Amino acid sequence: MTTSRRDFLARSVQLGALLGVGVPLLQACGGDSSSGGQKTQTIADGLKPEKGPLRIFNYDSYVNPDVIADFEAQYGVKVEITTFTTDTEAVTKLASKAIQADVYHSMASTTIDRLIAGGVIQPLNKTYLTNFPNVLESLQDPWYDKGSAYSVPYVYFGTGIGYRADRIDPAQVEKDGWNTLWNATDFKGQVSVLDDEREALIMAMMRKGLFDVNTTDQKVIDQALADLTELIDLVNVKVNIDGYKNIPEGTTTIAHTWSADLINAYAGYLPEGTDASVLGFWHPPAGEYLVSNDSMGVVGGCEHPVLAHLYLNFMLDNAVAEKNFSYVGYLPALTALDADYVIGKGYVPENLRACVPTKEDITKALFEKPLGVEGDAKYEAAWSKFTSGA
Amino acid sequence: MTATLSAPPTVAAKPRPKSRFWAMFAMPGVGWLVAFFVVSVYAVMAVAFGTVDPVLRTAVPAWNPLQWDFTAMRAVLDRIFGGDLGTVFIRTVGFVAASLAGCILIGYPVAYFVARKASKHRGLLLILLVLPFWISYLMRMLAWTNLLQVDGMVNDILRFLHLQSEPRNWLDGSASTVIWGLVYGYVPFFILPLYSTLERIDGRLIEAGRDLGASAAQTFFRVTLPLSVPGLMAASVITILPMFGDYYTNTYLTSGSPKTEMIGNQIENYLLGTSQPQTGAALVLVLMAFLFVLMAYYLVVTIRQQRMAER
Repeated sequence: MTTSRRDFLARSVQLGALLGVGVPLLQACGGDSSSGGQKTQTIADGLKPEKGPLRIFNYDSYVNPDVIADFEAQYGVKVEITTFTTDTEAVTKLASKAIQADVYHSMASTTIDRLIAGGVIQPLNKTYLTNFPNVLESLQDPWYDKGSAYSVPYVYFGTGIGYRADRIDPAQVEKDGWNTLWNATDFKGQVSVLDDEREALIMAMMRKGLFDVNTTDQKVIDQALADLTELIDLVNVKVNIDGYKNIPEGTTTIAHTWSADLINAYAGYLPEGTDASVLGFWHPPAGEYLVSNDSMGVVGGCEHPVLAHLYLNFMLDNAVAEKNFSYVGYLPALTALDADYVIGKGYVPENLRACVPTKEDITKALFEKPLGVEGDAKYEAAWSKFTSGA
Repeated sequence: MTATLSAPPTVAAKPRPKSRFWAMFAMPGVGWLVAFFVVSVYAVMAVAFGTVDPVLRTAVPAWNPLQWDFTAMRAVLDRIFGGDLGTVFIRTVGFVAASLAGCILIGYPVAYFVARKASKHRGLLLILLVLPFWISYLMRMLAWTNLLQVDGMVNDILRFLHLQSEPRNWLDGSASTVIWGLVYGYVPFFILPLYSTLERIDGRLIEAGRDLGASAAQTFFRVTLPLSVPGLMAASVITILPMFGDYYTNTYLTSGSPKTEMIGNQIENYLLGTSQPQTGAALVLVLMAFLFVLMAYYLVVTIRQQRMAER
């Protein structure tokens, strides 16, 4: 079959018509994910909670289902949880209103300023948050949200090295610090760094004694990239966030990881008959220790804002937070659940005491802060080069 | 006596009105393609040539072609032709080519046996071939991560058979593990279309080859193999298209080793983990263009073969 010039032109016109109709259609259906800079209003005092359901947007397995069941029973509502896999995905879906959520359960500190500016989260009415005084004093007025006007801390953790204490001497890790990863040539293929561009590049900087963790100096970033790239051939490094299972299972010996991952490893991933003493965690001294926390917020313009406030308050209750910790393994940012308490209760073994940041660790902690579009782009470009193995 | 043959009287054929009835049968497919292919591709283009919200860093698609911005695409092309992404592309092509070779080596004999030699067991064998589809691809890859561990069953078997003395760390980020993973994951997709072609080959042609004095091997290479080329092409296309976009096989089997990063991993990273979704969308378009060239080649070869068959 041949196509005449006339047929071709006719089809071109049809395609043009399709696109002519299609483009406005797409514009109409696509939603508007641009921020517009609008800000949302807080709710009034003393409102009755809505009938629900309460819609929570969270990472998978990042809240104890029993705690959710307790909330449902206490307030007589249903709770629906929708999950996401990355911070970027969560922000995109909330901003474009692709997800109708009431509670954004685990916001990264570095995105909260943008969520506020974009009207994605609304200011909180503290009269509903009677448990707020339970929060760690140092996180009641955090750097990312003055006076906790829009968010309350959920969990906190530090970044260090998780390792197999039965394969590598803890004293050697203590002595070598971050160099432990570069020295691990006997453990090729069993070394990993966090799949997070800021965390991994900062780690390489700190190894060289550079503690400006929010630098956007291209030379510093390039040097950190070069140092990280050395790990590819030196130790056949992996890039993941699976230390919580790979260390206890034994496939990873040394991992750049979060402190909570070792608590998780102890709680749920040690093979039967394996003693907790095989797990070890090292972190830099206070003042050089990178500490992060996730926060909860109420989504701007959500359907059930009162219920959402009550949920945030519920999660700040000491007993509820403890029950939640027993499942998720990430420490609630509450004063009552300090190292002595969680070790005494058996949630954390004594040899992993370092996994619970001390008051001094938090007071002197280094925090990742927002870098702006250009700053983020520098880290992302370096990360893309590193992971490409080029 | 001479007989003259005269042409039969011609009957002027009345042009029959074109029936639109049968054409309507194509409408669901056309509607499906418009909704889930044309519109989707246009949406990817709108993201690739769009901008990013300065506050939320989410994609702001440019639906109007007059507003398209090609900065991200230029940057991606620069990085492919002479930058780090070129390495990833070449590695991906290498992995897919090696995996396709593995699929041919394993899949062709299996498809041939089932199609031409299995006789009464054919139905059972076909069920066995389809069996892996009953379990999710991700679940199968997760199962392999257990089997391939240092103290896993693969090493146990290899040592039992004296094929290796020391256990090997298969998950240490080696290319061979990813290639075998791809072969394992996609070989059923390769076998089924090839089987249907081999099964349709007229047995009399093979018999004719043997009757004319060709050996079994000569008959295979001169009759069976050429006649199965359309099936081989179709099976190859069906297999390599998803392989090029694959990112989870590598993620599961090497725990994210930079040495085995594929282009799908970079796309995933840019779309889900960075503030540059337009770069991820641009990579999708480049990969599509590359695959379109392969697809066009397949179509040209197929059309040529159809024309030759019609002569």
